Amino acid sequence: MVNPLALSRYILLMLLALMPLAGHTQANIEIDTPAIISLEQRMQQRHNQLNTYYARGAVGLTRDGLIAMRDANELPLSARQSVNALIAAENQDRNALYREIARANGHPEWEADIRSTFAQRWIELARPGWWYQSASGSWVRK
Amino acid sequence: MRKLVKILPSFFIAISSAYAEPRITLSIDDFQSIGSPALNSKDIHVSLTGPRASVLEIKLGEIVVQGTSWRNLRFSCGDFQVAGGVVQCEGGTLTVSASTPLPVAFKFSATDKTLDAQIKPTPNEASAGWRLSARWGGAGWEGQLTVAEGQLGHLEGLLPTKGGEAVPSSTRGKVNGKFKLSGTADGMAEITANVVVNELAFSDASGLHAGENIGIEVNANAMQVGRRKDRRWEWQADANWLRGEVFWQPLYVVGEGYRFSTEGDLDDNLIRVNKGKLSLKDIGEMDFAGAIDRSTAALHDVDLSGDNLELAGVFSQVLKPFLVNTPFAELAAEGRAGIQWRFRNGAHQSINLHLHEAALDDGRGSFAFRGINAHIPWQVQGLTQASISVRSGQFGKLPIGEVHVPLQIDGPNFSIARMVVPVLDGKLTLEDFNASPQVQGGLKGWQWQFNGALSPISMQKLTEALGTQSMQGTLSGEIPGVSYNGSTIEVDGALLFRVFDGTVKLDNLKVLDPLGAAPSLMADLDMRNLDLNQLTGTFSFGSMQGRIDASVKGLELFDWKPVKFDASLRSSEGDYPRRISQAAVQNISSLGGSGAAAAIQRSFLHFFEQFGYLEIGWSCSLRNGICRMGGIESESLPHGYLIVKGGGIPAITVIGYNRNVDWDELVSRLQRITQAREIKPVFH
Repeated sequence: MVNPLALSRYILLMLLALMPLAGHTQANIEIDTPAIISLEQRMQQRHNQLNTYYARGAVGLTRDGLIAMRDANELPLSARQSVNALIAAENQDRNALYREIARANGHPEWEADIRSTFAQRWIELARPGWWYQSASGSWVRK
Repeated sequence: MRKLVKILPSFFIAISSAYAEPRITLSIDDFQSIGSPALNSKDIHVSLTGPRASVLEIKLGEIVVQGTSWRNLRFSCGDFQVAGGVVQCEGGTLTVSASTPLPVAFKFSATDKTLDAQIKPTPNEASAGWRLSARWGGAGWEGQLTVAEGQLGHLEGLLPTKGGEAVPSSTRGKVNGKFKLSGTADGMAEITANVVVNELAFSDASGLHAGENIGIEVNANAMQVGRRKDRRWEWQADANWLRGEVFWQPLYVVGEGYRFSTEGDLDDNLIRVNKGKLSLKDIGEMDFAGAIDRSTAALHDVDLSGDNLELAGVFSQVLKPFLVNTPFAELAAEGRAGIQWRFRNGAHQSINLHLHEAALDDGRGSFAFRGINAHIPWQVQGLTQASISVRSGQFGKLPIGEVHVPLQIDGPNFSIARMVVPVLDGKLTLEDFNASPQVQGGLKGWQWQFNGALSPISMQKLTEALGTQSMQGTLSGEIPGVSYNGSTIEVDGALLFRVFDGTVKLDNLKVLDPLGAAPSLMADLDMRNLDLNQLTGTFSFGSMQGRIDASVKGLELFDWKPVKFDASLRSSEGDYPRRISQAAVQNISSLGGSGAAAAIQRSFLHFFEQFGYLEIGWSCSLRNGICRMGGIESESLPHGYLIVKGGGIPAITVIGYNRNVDWDELVSRLQRITQAREIKPVFH
């Protein structure tokens, strides 16, 4: 049976992979290095867990291509520590992904552009009801 | 009251009797107690209306008592009476800002010198509520606040505001108990509280500091002592955290068996704890003393000491949340520890750490140490010498023997002049180890460097321990400068090893993010004069005699798997027997895959077990998962590449035709060959 969450994630990655980078049309976002493949696999696995927290509004998408605890009150006390750890792990992988895509393109200095392009696309592809940070830093419900 | 009252700037009282009902109103813009900023109030309106002036309304725009402010305070009483020295109110309500109106009743008797006030939020429950009874006479006064099922939530709106926001943002809970208060005309002299709070819940707006369902018992007493100049409060408090949970980012604690008792004093500047005891379940008991600066709420002095603490509890309850996403996230510890911590004037002075029969395991199979006994003293200035001994341990799959670590500590810098780590039957010697926090650049964390040497370790024992193909020979070598800058390990110079009767030089070694989620390694390998007989015997490849040189340039591993390199091997220079077995020929041929053909003189091949050769050469450039293969460089062929050039009688020549082979496929073929115990050549 196809897991709809995994499928949506897959589609999301495909879309991200196909999109040209603004200002750097030569940057190849679908570039595959073993590092990128392993990061994407880990992020895909984690996404299933994060999904429910996005939907509840506990976790939101930040304007710098990461995720953050938006409102811990949406979670039972006993879950707050582990969700914090999940967020930290996801952000570690996201940072590594942006760095690695830039490096694989042979342009480590593109990291900031790759990050901001991803940040926009994560938000565009977020589901209705999820929270994201606007350009001013305030939280907005999609 | 002796204090003067200054009323500014507009003030009026209007008594109007236009109708039958008298009406008195009083408005004051600003009210300050002179000579002391203890009390001031703004925007005051008082009115007394209704039949017999029985309806009282008091509104305060803002009242500030000793720096704490309340806004929009409103008190109204529908049945207000003043008669015979008695002031009383039934059915009053008190509202602060947007709080729920609280039913209030009070009776004040000037003749009996008593005050009796009640807040009854739930009229149905006669016993529930807050009741204050006070009496005075002579030089002093005393009062008692009795609380029965008092809801903290009702007080929420009554809490003072700081910076416009109530702190904390939400609080619930039930209070039962008594507060006894007594004092003189100068103020409060003694407070005693015996209170149990149940179902306590609080949270700040972000939910990162919150508690739920907390049960706590507090018995406390505070008494004012000293004469005017050195007046202070002496207090003692015992708290028992009975149940409930608290999340105080990043700590999550379920309260059960936590006890806290302290005694100390309080003056205008400091809250002092002279003697405190903290008892934590699964950790142990700690004694502490210290002082907190009242104006900044910052720690001033602390002395903390605990002996016989359970390391397992210290790690799982206190340290683990801080190690998330570090290589030590799964770290588990056992054994006992002692700590003495001294903190003076807002700075660490010294820490003494003792470990007794401790064990550490990183939980990921990277390292484990057992039988750790240590005394590690640290002080802010000056050298200290730590003594650490580890009975046994493991690095990955490699067991290490007893180690003594002569650690020298100089503030934030750690150094070890020399230490010896027994590894299997050899030893690793570390020299000139230095570690210090990163001071420059954008990298955080630690930097360290060392050099050392590896005295011979038997390859047989090493391969056994690592669970890989058994090998002969020894591993030994010099370890030149190795350094870590917070993200990358770099080896300055070449690592030299002796294996298979030849030498292996590892150069330009660099490991990025060694303990992280995505470690990668870069290096150049140069191997000389390896004995083919030992090598092929080890890997069940089919026997070959001779010697080879091999080089792997630009090797890149990601997650310890090769992703890029340029490898080549060729027969070493010199005079030595060069023979190759049938099995080895078959295996070399089959590595090229089904498309690869060996130009084998099949007609008489099967008569011979061994063949002579002149030269062997093979290369593989790995890019994007594909190995591009080549043969002896000097012998170019029109369609293919020469791997084995024949010589002598009988001679054999092996030619490869397939240049591009999938790396994973090549590795699995090699594994099939080297794992086969018995190799039988097949002839067509």
